[in-house]
Amino acid sequence: MDDKYTKTKFLVNGRQHSLEIDNRHTLLDILRDYLGLTGAKKGCDLGECGACTVLLDGKAVNSCQIFAARIKGKDVRTVEGLAQNKILHPLQISFIENDGGQCGYCTPGFIMAAYPIFESDEEMSIDEIKSSLAGNLCRCNSYGSIIDSVVHALEIKTDE
Amino acid sequence: MNEHSDYSPTVGTSYVRTDLKGKVLGTAKYTADLSLPNMLHARILRSPHPHANILSVDIDAALEMDGVFHVLTPFNVLKGKVAPDVPILDSRVRFVGDEVAVVAAVSIERAQAAIDRIEVSYEVLPFSTNVHDSLGSTNFPIHPQGNLVNGAPLVEARGNIEEGFNQADYVVEDSFTTPDHHPASLEPRAALASWDGSCLTMWKPSRGIHGDKNILASALDLNPHNITVIGPAMGAGYGSKDETRTSVLAALLSIKTGYPVKLELSREEEFLAGRRRHSTFTKIRMGIKKNGTITAVHAKTIMDTGAYLSSGPGVVRRAGQGVLYLYKCPNVKYEGQIVYTNTPTAGSYRALGAPQGHFALESLSDKASEKLGIDPLEFRLKNHVGPEGQPGERTTPMNQIIDTQPVEGGIPFSSNELRQCLKLGADAIGWDKRGNIQNSSGPIRRGMGMSMFIYRGGPGGQSKAEMSLDQDGFFTLNVGFMDVGEGSSTVVIQMASDTLGVPPGMVRINGGNTDKTPESPMTAGSTLTFSAGHAATEAAKQLRDIVINASVEAFGLGAPEDLYLSPTGVESKDGESISFLDIVRETGPLTTLASVIPGSKDYIVNSFGAHFAEIEVDIETGHIEIIKYVAAHDSGRIINPRLAEGQVRGGVSQMMGFTFLEDMEIDPLSGITLNANFLEHKSPTIMEYPDIEVIFADSVDPIGPFGAKSLGEPPCIAPAPTIANALYHATGVRINDLPFTPDNVLLAMKNLQ
Repeated sequence: MDDKYTKTKFLVNGRQHSLEIDNRHTLLDILRDYLGLTGAKKGCDLGECGACTVLLDGKAVNSCQIFAARIKGKDVRTVEGLAQNKILHPLQISFIENDGGQCGYCTPGFIMAAYPIFESDEEMSIDEIKSSLAGNLCRCNSYGSIIDSVVHALEIKTDE
Repeated sequence: MNEHSDYSPTVGTSYVRTDLKGKVLGTAKYTADLSLPNMLHARILRSPHPHANILSVDIDAALEMDGVFHVLTPFNVLKGKVAPDVPILDSRVRFVGDEVAVVAAVSIERAQAAIDRIEVSYEVLPFSTNVHDSLGSTNFPIHPQGNLVNGAPLVEARGNIEEGFNQADYVVEDSFTTPDHHPASLEPRAALASWDGSCLTMWKPSRGIHGDKNILASALDLNPHNITVIGPAMGAGYGSKDETRTSVLAALLSIKTGYPVKLELSREEEFLAGRRRHSTFTKIRMGIKKNGTITAVHAKTIMDTGAYLSSGPGVVRRAGQGVLYLYKCPNVKYEGQIVYTNTPTAGSYRALGAPQGHFALESLSDKASEKLGIDPLEFRLKNHVGPEGQPGERTTPMNQIIDTQPVEGGIPFSSNELRQCLKLGADAIGWDKRGNIQNSSGPIRRGMGMSMFIYRGGPGGQSKAEMSLDQDGFFTLNVGFMDVGEGSSTVVIQMASDTLGVPPGMVRINGGNTDKTPESPMTAGSTLTFSAGHAATEAAKQLRDIVINASVEAFGLGAPEDLYLSPTGVESKDGESISFLDIVRETGPLTTLASVIPGSKDYIVNSFGAHFAEIEVDIETGHIEIIKYVAAHDSGRIINPRLAEGQVRGGVSQMMGFTFLEDMEIDPLSGITLNANFLEHKSPTIMEYPDIEVIFADSVDPIGPFGAKSLGEPPCIAPAPTIANALYHATGVRINDLPFTPDNVLLAMKNLQ
């Protein structure tokens, strides 16, 4: 049982990290077990549920499908990195105001999956928004409130 | 509340859910998010056989590995039981995935490597993956008492069905099946146990920490006083996360090793070793007269409980509630059998049997109305049980609390707005245009269907709440119940703060720890708003009087009857006031403990509703599209409309999985569950989410706290029969076997041609 470790440098939420990482571990393991960032959840560890969604160089990815070797030099953003100086991101505020979660286990994943939609300058139809979020499961089936939350956040952005 | 106060009540308003902030920030902690210093990780070795005796377990090679601390096997484990038919570990395995051995090691990877080195010798036994085989053979009882639980069905009856059927002009009958339906909570089960030499602390997803404490105490032969159960945020369970072996095994490993132990199930394990909805086989018949009245209803249901019994007796009873009580009828009979099979265990899952029972009953009801040549809505308006209850004589003694799902007649409901639900729902869907929307040519066929339901719920067990005015001038509600994600903390705070007359932001809620909270029943059976709401309201009333009396004694602030609480403190009608901070500085914290046994000796407390759907069926592909869905509910007064709507919309969408997609595929030749993952066990995504209109009947229950009744489970009962009836209306094809996957729909069409 030789555990193989690799020294890896990467950014998480703007902070530089340099860690000896077990090669068998995924980005999700690194976030949760090495860095204590447990916002991303392990719902399946198979890339099927989206609960572990984070941003890798700005793109929403299932962190459970990214092996450690792939994050060298990358910029990772998690749900913990959204609020700035305790001021919530408009998506977070909108999820609270529109009751966009029940048990909340899928919520960080949905917010991170919605983040690139929020950042994009392209206008998206409701169906396109749904399509972008189709890789995230919510077993409470709060889908109606989740759509409301994302759409409402986009409306606020446009108004500003 | 007092008319003098400038406080605006929040009951009836969509006050924002109190626990969402931590969830959107990613700081809310779930069990798997927790860790302790020197913590070990556990993995479980599971049976590859559906039924076998374990002859030996060789753990030597596993124990020799670096970093492996302990291995539990059926032969070195305590003889305690997790449930009456579930030993901590057993030398008999009863389904593919049953627990055989458990390893504690320094990492999950090391624990898994050790698992791979354990050698197990099995004596393979004959097995059954379906109820018919289990009942047909006595060669291989899965448990010593036999495969039919209790050796006989549960039988409940009112009147005489033979007489009822003799009076009938027509008898309609049919058979229905429902699948193994898995809640598949996004959070797999997990447990973190820490034993300090004399006391056990357990962090686990829980819907009843006090009950879980007693289960742990009994299984581990420990004094309950030496156990603390802490319920972190819970990634939902929908009723299914009741005690399994998970937490007991983690506890035992911590006791054996002296280190904290965390056990996290994988997604596949959650599918196998969690709890599923009972699959059912139901034969049902209904006697009707030409004038449209119902003379008798008789149903027989066989439920597959899988390898262990879990909450089967409660579930099988609820599957009969519709049969016994939804339609006004003097002669009814329900027989429910629970049968062991060598498949993953069934247990509680949101609405507990009612969806299965109502699928059969409400599909048959449409057949009955067709036989009579009358509109299905009209048939229900004519026959639904009314506020006066069922015909017959009350048998419950007058001084006893009424069961929430009685069999006898002669007892009225505390409130029953089913008729209002039928009418409001029909208006919203446009039922009067139903005859015009059908088309008999082309690949897309349109149709409209409906069904209705009754559900127990409301009063639960004895419920306690402790409430205090604290040193900082704020209030704390100490409660032993768990908010499992449905928002119960929020609505209970609303009720307590309205009772006091202070804003909900001034009331904190403390829960989730057995050491710090008074006993409370499980968040189960849609009883929490009712039971915990009563307890919190009672505690708030008591505390209000205590605070007022204290301010009279300490500050001479007029007569108690002239005083009330306001957002800032105690005020008098004459305009005098004293702040909460000043009061507690003088008196110290003020506390009270309320204990209530909710219920009624005069009325049945039930919830009702009616669902309607307009659908399009593509008869070339078998795909069904929901054009519009309407859910009309009588849940009494709605405490928080936004949360309540979320419950209904979520419940309906969740049951679209039951209706269209979800079925655990268990291979009859091997007993292996073939789709224990989200890719192959299809669940609804945001793409399938239909347009759902939620309507709440104008209803205020005289027994419920603030007029509220149950809500969490009721939305799950009517979706399947509503779609089944719409499908029949659209195509002329009635499908009695769920789920309505495209291939099942196409096959049914083909068989008809």
